[in-house]
Amino acid sequence: MDDNAPNQSTLDPTLSTAALAALESAINAALKYDPGTRSALAKLAGQILAVESTQPPFTIYLQATKTENQSLRVFADPDQQCSPTTHLSGPFLAIAALALKDSSTLANSGVTVMGSTALLSDMQTLLKQMDIDWEDALNQLMGDLLGHSLANRIRSLAGWAQHRILSGQRLVSEYLTEELKSLPAKPELESFYQEVDELRMSVDRLEQRIARIIKT
Amino acid sequence: MTEKKTTHFGYEEVAVDEKAGRVADVFHSVAAKYDLMNDLMSAGVHRLWKRFTIEVSGVRAGDKVLDIAGGTGDLSFKFSRIVGENGLVVLADINESMLKVGRDRLLDRGAAGNVVVSQADAQFLPYADNTFDCITIAFGLRNVTDKDLALRSMLRVLKPGGRLLVLEFSKPKSSLLGKVYDTYSFKLLPFMGKVITDDADSYRYLAESIRMHPDQQTLKNMMDEAGFGETKFYNMTGGIVALHKGIKP
Repeated sequence: MDDNAPNQSTLDPTLSTAALAALESAINAALKYDPGTRSALAKLAGQILAVESTQPPFTIYLQATKTENQSLRVFADPDQQCSPTTHLSGPFLAIAALALKDSSTLANSGVTVMGSTALLSDMQTLLKQMDIDWEDALNQLMGDLLGHSLANRIRSLAGWAQHRILSGQRLVSEYLTEELKSLPAKPELESFYQEVDELRMSVDRLEQRIARIIKT
Repeated sequence: MTEKKTTHFGYEEVAVDEKAGRVADVFHSVAAKYDLMNDLMSAGVHRLWKRFTIEVSGVRAGDKVLDIAGGTGDLSFKFSRIVGENGLVVLADINESMLKVGRDRLLDRGAAGNVVVSQADAQFLPYADNTFDCITIAFGLRNVTDKDLALRSMLRVLKPGGRLLVLEFSKPKSSLLGKVYDTYSFKLLPFMGKVITDDADSYRYLAESIRMHPDQQTLKNMMDEAGFGETKFYNMTGGIVALHKGIKP
């Protein structure tokens, strides 16, 4: 961007465009082997979700399309000419957390939404359930026989890894809370948070009372 | 005795009526390997420059787009996907060889129905007034003999509110980058042209014509003078390339 338009980002457009192109390419490569999500996205064709990160400041746009090699267009719109169906804004971490967590409520998330919340909910569901058919991808690359046996191998490895991670997490958590007693258990922690909340509200009330007394 | 009007062809001074023919020869020579050379010369970055142009264009479904000097049809293909079946993309180029390559590539990639191919001179565009929502000219304006005439012609065929986008090589912002870039364009570029297309002269012309092209501010002023409003430019890759934008009032 040049100094003839001082309000815009100072990042060279070549770099920001490269980042968006890479993101778009990764998403569409994943969708190539996920016909379910692709056809669901095609039903949303033309609708645009604007994602505005306030910290760090940048905005990207996601548009569902129904062309053969592209299901989702990711772009920047430097001159803000497009009219998004839904505009999501908030700190980047809050938006990322919203995209990853199961709940779709925006309460206390630090994220605000303008426009249609239906598109937001649809996009959130679709991106979360993106089911990539690795076996089909491998079959196309290596032929059915090799692809299938490699996919089976990957599946069993992935299952084993997931099991180890989950049981590992459980064991570490039990060891820290029950054996070392270095961390509180979850119910204790929740009860502590509850007490902190009550204390905060009591302090607020007290502050109001003192302010009223000082006035009178 | 009347003095013959001249213009530049790279660093050479040639008669005005000679330039179009000389430029045509260059592009007839490089047409078949134009995309390969673009990828090699820019290490693939020309795709990012064109992608950014599409983002700034604000083209949407149903729009009419004119892609002047569209060559091998990179931008036209992308636009044909965005404008959809109710829109129209006109791929125009003065050079028959480039146009043939572009037309074949568009058909091979499945772009049909909303794309037409048209051999046209940017200085005398053969379209009705107020026809297009957006006009792009990517790496083409520096080859046009009378750039002011071409800009006025583009203004005429744009609809009021329509956008002109000029993507063109420009002047690097840093002098160090400028020196590296000079060495690259005058030493390495003709060598690559020689190896790949067996035509070092055409690529020497490309490097020279880039240096003779107006810099960012001069081109912006030329667009203002032609009658465009809200003109501005984006420097890309340190100013090696600039994207100028103007709106028909």
